[in-house]
Amino acid sequence: MFLAFILPGTLAISQDFNITGKVSNGASSTPLSGVTVRVKEKQTATTTKEDGTFTITAPKGSTLVFTHVGYALREVAVTNNAKVEIQLSASAGGLDEVVVVGYGTKRKRDITSAISTVNMADIGEAPSRGVTQLLQGQAPGVVVKQKDGRPGAEFEVRVRGISSLGAGSEPLYVIDGFAMGTNAGVNVNPNDIESISILKDAAATAIYGARGSNGVVLITTRSAKEGQTRLNVSVDYGIQNIPKSRRVTVLTGPEFAQFKKEVWMDNVRYFQNREPSINEVPIGFRYPEQTKYSTNWFNEILHNNAPYTDYNISLASGSGPIKSVLSIGYYKEEGAIIKTNYDRFSIRANIGGQVNKFITMGWNTAATYSRQNLTNTDGRNAIVGSTLIMDPREPMYDSTGAMRPYIGGVDGVFGYPNPVYLLNHVTNKRNIADILSNGFIEVALLKNLRFRSSANVRLNYNNFRFFQPSTIGNLLGSGQSGAPPKLARADENTDQLLNYSLDQLLTYAPNIGENHTLDFLAGFTAQEETTRGVSGSGNTFPDDLVPYLGAAILRSSNSFELGWSLLAYIGRVNYAFQDKYLLSASMRREGSSRFGAKNKYGNFPAASIGWRLTKEKFMPKFSWLTDLKLRASVGETGNNNIGNYSSLAFLGTDNYILGNAIAAGKVVTSFANSSLEWEKSTQVDVGMDLSLFNNKVVITAEYYNKLTKDMLLPISIPAVSGFTSSLANIGKVENKGFEFAVDYRAKVNKLNIRNSFNIAFNRSKILAIKGPNDALYYGSFYGGYNVQKVGRPIGMIYGYKKLGIFNTQDEIDKAPKQDGVIPGGMRFLDADGNGVVTYDTKDMVEIGNPNPKFTWAHTLAMDYKKFDFNILFIGAQGFDIYRNIEASTMNMDGVFNVLDKAKDRWRSPQNPGSNPNDQHSQGGTNYFKWSRESSERYVYDASYMWIKNISLGYALPKIKNISSAKVFISVTNAFLFTNYPGNNPDVSQRSSIEGGNDDEAYPVPRTFAIGAKLNF
Amino acid sequence: MKYQIAIVIFIICLSSVSCSKDFLNKTDPTRIGTELFFKDQVQVDQAVNGVYGQLQGITNTGYIFKEMMSDNTTFDLNPLDRGGAAGWEAFEFSTVNSGNGEISNLWNLYYRVMYNVNNTLGKLPASTITDEAKKQTEGELKFLRALLYFDMVRYWGDVVLVTKTLETPDEAFTQLRVPQTQVYTQIENDLKDAVASMPVKQPAAKLGRATKGSAISLLGEVYLTQKKYAEAVTTLNGILPLGYTLMPNYADVFDPTKKNNAESVFEIQYQGGNDLGEWSNFMYVFAPRLSGAAITGYASVVPSGRNIPTNDMIAAYEAGDLRKDVSLKTSYTATDGTVVPIPYVSKYKHAHTIAGRTDDNWPVIRYADVLLMLAEAINEATGPTADAFNYLNRVRTRAGLSPLSSLDKTAFRTAVLQERRVELAFENHRWFDLKRTKTAAELVAFMNAHGAREKANPTVGRGGVAFNAQDYIYTENEVLLPIPAPQILINAQLTQNAGY
Repeated sequence: MFLAFILPGTLAISQDFNITGKVSNGASSTPLSGVTVRVKEKQTATTTKEDGTFTITAPKGSTLVFTHVGYALREVAVTNNAKVEIQLSASAGGLDEVVVVGYGTKRKRDITSAISTVNMADIGEAPSRGVTQLLQGQAPGVVVKQKDGRPGAEFEVRVRGISSLGAGSEPLYVIDGFAMGTNAGVNVNPNDIESISILKDAAATAIYGARGSNGVVLITTRSAKEGQTRLNVSVDYGIQNIPKSRRVTVLTGPEFAQFKKEVWMDNVRYFQNREPSINEVPIGFRYPEQTKYSTNWFNEILHNNAPYTDYNISLASGSGPIKSVLSIGYYKEEGAIIKTNYDRFSIRANIGGQVNKFITMGWNTAATYSRQNLTNTDGRNAIVGSTLIMDPREPMYDSTGAMRPYIGGVDGVFGYPNPVYLLNHVTNKRNIADILSNGFIEVALLKNLRFRSSANVRLNYNNFRFFQPSTIGNLLGSGQSGAPPKLARADENTDQLLNYSLDQLLTYAPNIGENHTLDFLAGFTAQEETTRGVSGSGNTFPDDLVPYLGAAILRSSNSFELGWSLLAYIGRVNYAFQDKYLLSASMRREGSSRFGAKNKYGNFPAASIGWRLTKEKFMPKFSWLTDLKLRASVGETGNNNIGNYSSLAFLGTDNYILGNAIAAGKVVTSFANSSLEWEKSTQVDVGMDLSLFNNKVVITAEYYNKLTKDMLLPISIPAVSGFTSSLANIGKVENKGFEFAVDYRAKVNKLNIRNSFNIAFNRSKILAIKGPNDALYYGSFYGGYNVQKVGRPIGMIYGYKKLGIFNTQDEIDKAPKQDGVIPGGMRFLDADGNGVVTYDTKDMVEIGNPNPKFTWAHTLAMDYKKFDFNILFIGAQGFDIYRNIEASTMNMDGVFNVLDKAKDRWRSPQNPGSNPNDQHSQGGTNYFKWSRESSERYVYDASYMWIKNISLGYALPKIKNISSAKVFISVTNAFLFTNYPGNNPDVSQRSSIEGGNDDEAYPVPRTFAIGAKLNF
Repeated sequence: MKYQIAIVIFIICLSSVSCSKDFLNKTDPTRIGTELFFKDQVQVDQAVNGVYGQLQGITNTGYIFKEMMSDNTTFDLNPLDRGGAAGWEAFEFSTVNSGNGEISNLWNLYYRVMYNVNNTLGKLPASTITDEAKKQTEGELKFLRALLYFDMVRYWGDVVLVTKTLETPDEAFTQLRVPQTQVYTQIENDLKDAVASMPVKQPAAKLGRATKGSAISLLGEVYLTQKKYAEAVTTLNGILPLGYTLMPNYADVFDPTKKNNAESVFEIQYQGGNDLGEWSNFMYVFAPRLSGAAITGYASVVPSGRNIPTNDMIAAYEAGDLRKDVSLKTSYTATDGTVVPIPYVSKYKHAHTIAGRTDDNWPVIRYADVLLMLAEAINEATGPTADAFNYLNRVRTRAGLSPLSSLDKTAFRTAVLQERRVELAFENHRWFDLKRTKTAAELVAFMNAHGAREKANPTVGRGGVAFNAQDYIYTENEVLLPIPAPQILINAQLTQNAGY
């Protein structure tokens, strides 16, 4: 302590120098602009100009610090007035970069926990629709899936697997220090983002306590560079299409008529054991070649060359003590399905700086307004699935040229509303206004003691409006008519959310000598969220002219309010000895309104250590070995996504009629559980950071083992209790894995190459649920099951194991009994060996694994003179999808259109199709049983490699008044390599723990874009 | 320095103001927590009404187990969509297994209602309502408990007998099945209390809740089922002075404009024509699948085609029976004018103003039922006395049939069962009447004969879909339903009925 006050004092007497200099890229010798030049001992700083030059005043004996994103930090001692020439070398995720961590920042070289950073400069010029897309392929162990192609939809993010069976696995998103929740919101404009850190292990996330167990994504928005005033304008324009190769092929009109005819005749042949005459065949498909129309309904709903545009203007002002960034953006995306779209208007103002010697303040405010036109797309009866199975023999328009509102419903084929008509006439809109504001004031109390108080607020207004006019018919099966007119109906709901938090942080970094660095953090945070909403619905409209609730004859309404609150005390200490031994420990004590009365508070401790071997004397010095650090961490985190009021019991409404009038009635709806608490995860992480050849090669390797226990699960309880399930903290899940990332940068003449590869292996295992033999089943008999079973990975796909197709009655007689099976039915394994394959789950077994063996990503970036090129590959290997939709698109009853491959189906022992023994061959021409049950028939390997983005940029030659200009072209979702027959191997339509179920979703488009960026 | 500290202190004070002690205590403002309820008369009434509300749920699917499982009704098979119907069809075809989803629903539903009966009973002593009201409410809840257990013991035989609120899920694991006799003892005791404390008439505002007459009738049936004929006669005689009469016109009994009429002893209340959510829809469930608007008058709600009267049922009516045309139709005229020969239940077919929302109540106990039970009980206890003939013939006379006389005990027994079949058709009596009046072996033979007739000559065309070999094959174990398999998985100590 004594030293700390003396040392600066002795320096202060020295004289000041005016230093000028030039900073350039050490590899290419090109000047670097925008490099921050800071006097280490003072608060003065500047940035380099276009030609890389700078001027700064610094006292003799002080140190100049040069920092620039993507380059290694450099320190240069000030010795005289001389002009300095500084070369910065590119850092591969440079070890001296400053990384945002929970409640603070840290130099990358000092980090002792598992943190991945996403460098915006490394992503290339591919368009980005939201925050979650930016994360794709950027960090090992962070799996980002585009589950469907809906415009404005967020991607699914999972950090280190699925660690909870009951409370969700979404990470916590923190924007500029504000822990918003498990959803970043599509309403953050990705152009406003400066950096993203992903906290993966418990040592990094425990400071977020009961919200830390699924990882934490820290998003930092842009701030102005010292001394710069910049106006940036960028424009992107693109088009989206569903690639032909990613479309499902179904039968044409004549082919379908032929199929119907064959099915009908095969039925007579089997059940009546005779050859039907042509005149018996119903006239609708008696002469398939005379079928008049053929409509490919899927192609009809596609919006070809759907445009998307993205405009951004930002003004950064870095002069003077108060700096600001103002930005305005407008993004609009037409969906690949007609009449679906999304647009977003966003503004942001980040203002802050040093008020005086002691006070620093900042205020970031962002507002977005987005509009989304949606349609129901998931499942066979929704838009996408229905286009595959509806009658292709029907025309779009009637003889007068008017669009037909209803399709099908004849010859036993299911009837559906015309999807094009539906998309044009049904209103399905969501509008969201979102305001996010973070402010802080930081006071320097003592030289090394700082107090920071911040207030964060999020306001979200969300409105959903639905109207279905009377001209939309119902889905109806089997020759019944669901044709319109039907009752028109309308729904509208609006909710508003207020989330605020107040954080008080005290940081103290005493100077205790050259060999030691030490800092402390202590803090207190309080957060509360309240959502209120009203909803209304109406039906029986007199006409379709006024699509609002007021016009409905029958109306009902509802309102709700819900919320949660938390209080937490946090503390952290970091210590380093000679950069060689690094120590960090943190603690959070958190109370939450969601926890039961008996468990209001929980403690979340964590500790980590690092050991820099390259600083050890005994380590031989190699010129190629730049840095080697080993680290280990352990900590406890929680997951509080257990519902707001799960620990309490409430009364629900169940009214009655008495005296011929309504009589209010109430019933109890759940058990109370006052000891309910958060899920707890304990995670151990061992890692290595290795830099070689002066940071040309940077390697990170990581092993982790995460044990989640006290999972909040609905456990089945005897129904005699009055309830069938009750929430309890039970069960254990283990996720362990290995992550590896390597970054290689090289320069060959004028060509700069960056290769970045990462791969992650995660294995989940359920260690306990309730008792040793318990298992939880999700899904349905005709829709595929996922099972959570002790000793097995999460969400194994479950069903009958398929042994083939019964060819003859003789084969059926000799096999274990399958009630009702006839030749052509699928032959399933009698798993319990009791001689009967029962028509329930008893003979089902695990038939697929939805969890990839490994996931990987590879970025290759090159720049050559004025060109830059970036390509991102991602892949997932060794996982299965239950292609549920094929139970409908390969339904042999003749009630649906079917896949092209149905032509090669089993029809009779003499005509069993070309490959009846294939795992995916379809049985059951004549009978519904033993064909569409959950079985191996529908399980496909979905391993894939996907070229996600390709971009090519060109920096235009200098133009007057424009400091730089660049044009680029890009392709998103460029090429997919997989054997999976569906549109998207990343599809997942149920919850995380019921992975890999595909009943058709909004298809994922390929996007071509061109764009330009101008800096003034 | 001082002013910096002042700022910090100011900020900390500011933020701590918002953090009062209750900051972490939150409850759902849109619902009432259970600990705050069951205090006064209004709340107790709401709790009791809630149980009645839940009875609607039980009634809505009762026809599957009480009519379709018997020889009275079948369903309108959809030959083209065989995807997901296996659950409830199994009750028609006698292919119910322990994994059947309907069985699980049924079991769960009864115990869900039972929880609210027991819970409210348990909360009564601590409430502030008058002793008189406590006694009366207790009687009413006990009647409801008996009503539930009487169904359950006839469905499953030995059942788990829960008569108090279980405070934690763990307690439920120790609750196992008890012998039927013990269940019946509980039912009898509950009903005796109910008879003693319930009012003969409910006030107009509570019209529709059970009465002393409801309890007497149910207790009479409980005795009858246990073959305690003397007690049955004594008990059922107790209803005669209470003022019930047969409605002169059979159709009026089910007329929604004449709800809770002089013949009604206990019925489940519904109300259509509004948005209150209390409507019934039996007409839609029972109309043939493809009848569209032909029967219901509204095309927008698609009929389900269940509970279709069988050929046997249609043939059961004597010539001239006025009830036949009220209870069923043997065909319908489609909207295009063609006559479709699919029979359907018309007892609950009444005009209504909103598609899918009918106003029909569901009769549970009515005076004709009580008179026939009394006739049956007297015959079994003492043979067919004049009183017994009188009660039977009052029902027959209203139906436009000639009175019966000079039957011996066995013939009288047959006559009463026949009369119950046609008088109470599609009112959820048949399966239990068959079970009560036949031994297991007789019932199996009876149902197999019915099944053989259905297979040979199905009531409703099957569009070429063949019967499964297992369809309509009855075995003796099937007089009881299986305990749902999931319940045994949850609690391995729970026993299964034989043969499942």
